[in-house]
Amino acid sequence: METSYETIIIGGGVVGSSIAYHLSERYKEGLLVIDKKFPMSGTSGSTQAWVWVHSKTPAWYAEFSMYSAELYPYLAKKIGDVEYKRTGGLSPFFREQEREKAKRLAEEYGKIGIQIDVLSREEVLAKEPFFNPRVAGATFSLLDGNVNPFRLIDMYMRTAKKNGVHYSTYNRVTDIRRRNDMFIVVSEKGTYASKRLILAAGPWSRELGKLIGINIPINQVRGQILVTEPLKPFLRYTISGLRQANNGEVLIGYSMEQAGFDRSTTLDVIQETANLAIHYVPALKKAKIVRAFSGIRAMPEDGLPILGKVPGIDNLYVAATHSGVTLSPLIGTLLAELLLDGETSLPIERYSLSRFA
Amino acid sequence: MLDQATIICRCEEISYEEVAEVIRYGARTFDDVKRLTRCGMGPCQAKICMSLVAQVIHAETGRALPEIPLPRMRMPLSPIKLETLATNRTSFSAVKSVLDEVEPEEGMR
Repeated sequence: METSYETIIIGGGVVGSSIAYHLSERYKEGLLVIDKKFPMSGTSGSTQAWVWVHSKTPAWYAEFSMYSAELYPYLAKKIGDVEYKRTGGLSPFFREQEREKAKRLAEEYGKIGIQIDVLSREEVLAKEPFFNPRVAGATFSLLDGNVNPFRLIDMYMRTAKKNGVHYSTYNRVTDIRRRNDMFIVVSEKGTYASKRLILAAGPWSRELGKLIGINIPINQVRGQILVTEPLKPFLRYTISGLRQANNGEVLIGYSMEQAGFDRSTTLDVIQETANLAIHYVPALKKAKIVRAFSGIRAMPEDGLPILGKVPGIDNLYVAATHSGVTLSPLIGTLLAELLLDGETSLPIERYSLSRFA
Repeated sequence: MLDQATIICRCEEISYEEVAEVIRYGARTFDDVKRLTRCGMGPCQAKICMSLVAQVIHAETGRALPEIPLPRMRMPLSPIKLETLATNRTSFSAVKSVLDEVEPEEGMR
């Protein structure tokens, strides 16, 4: 005996839960989200959660990220306070030669309406007085900020549930089959049938795709992060590499490693991360680290999101990307449009899985 | 005895009631409770609340105590100064900066 749903979403992280919530705003038919553990236990709960636009390339991908950042203030009105702060984003450089690169970036982004300032040393220090005075300059954008990822996913999930979405957690999907026009999702806790299926499994996408015979070319990268004890507020901006959270903790990390699904933290990367922190903000050297954590992030083979219909299989959709926190309000909005209206308000053809064919 | 107002996590001031609420909402392990409430995220890193949370999970779900997974313990086990970890090297292998990754030429496409 199997339970039937109109739509099943596999993956309850920031992307899957955003899609569930956005669909549930307009659509009251049966919706089920299945997660192999519990939302936040994977990638979505192990991030610094920048909402980051500037310095994404190519420019059209930055533009896509910008639209998502613009949705955040409305999201808070709809689902509740997710501690989104548009702090402005600061990306420092320490060699004068890099100013040319920064200026080219700013010029390129100016054409698509994203304003990036290239700051002098004095301007960086005026904005962020505790920054290393040896800094040469920085790129700065007003659009960037950060969010509390736990609040974000929790509020997506709570609002989705309020709107009637079912969640089945600690329930690994073991097989996906087709029967007539239906998807049959076999899981540890039961078998479900649905008309439509959305794969939103982040770094587990490739493995999940194999169950239904499609190739979703997403790999894993590991990022390690250090957390300090709560400090009095002294950092104003989201700096590429570290940020100060509402409760005063500073989250530090900008590492990327190939480590498969191994979520260990390692001393060498922790030491480098400590070096980075002190290099950026020397005053941090006396701050105490209370923990290190690492997360496995989804990395599509070409770095860009994979979104939309899966070519060749009707009613099958995929949404998997790096930068899921930045993109989640937009991805949720667009996927809801795609499912309910058959078209999206922004073009997403560029992000189709078919580009890898 | 624990009652609804008992503080389970002293660092983050999380009460029994708050822990029980997220368990009723679907949390099943210490780490789920931690991410939903911040219980265990403070300076003591769950050393005080670990077994108390296990008791709440047991009381709310009936799951036997030995079957409740322990929290993921993270290094360093007690707080340590950043400068103690640092090595003074300024070249990074795994650690990048954003501008390192930017290829503005790509934007021309």
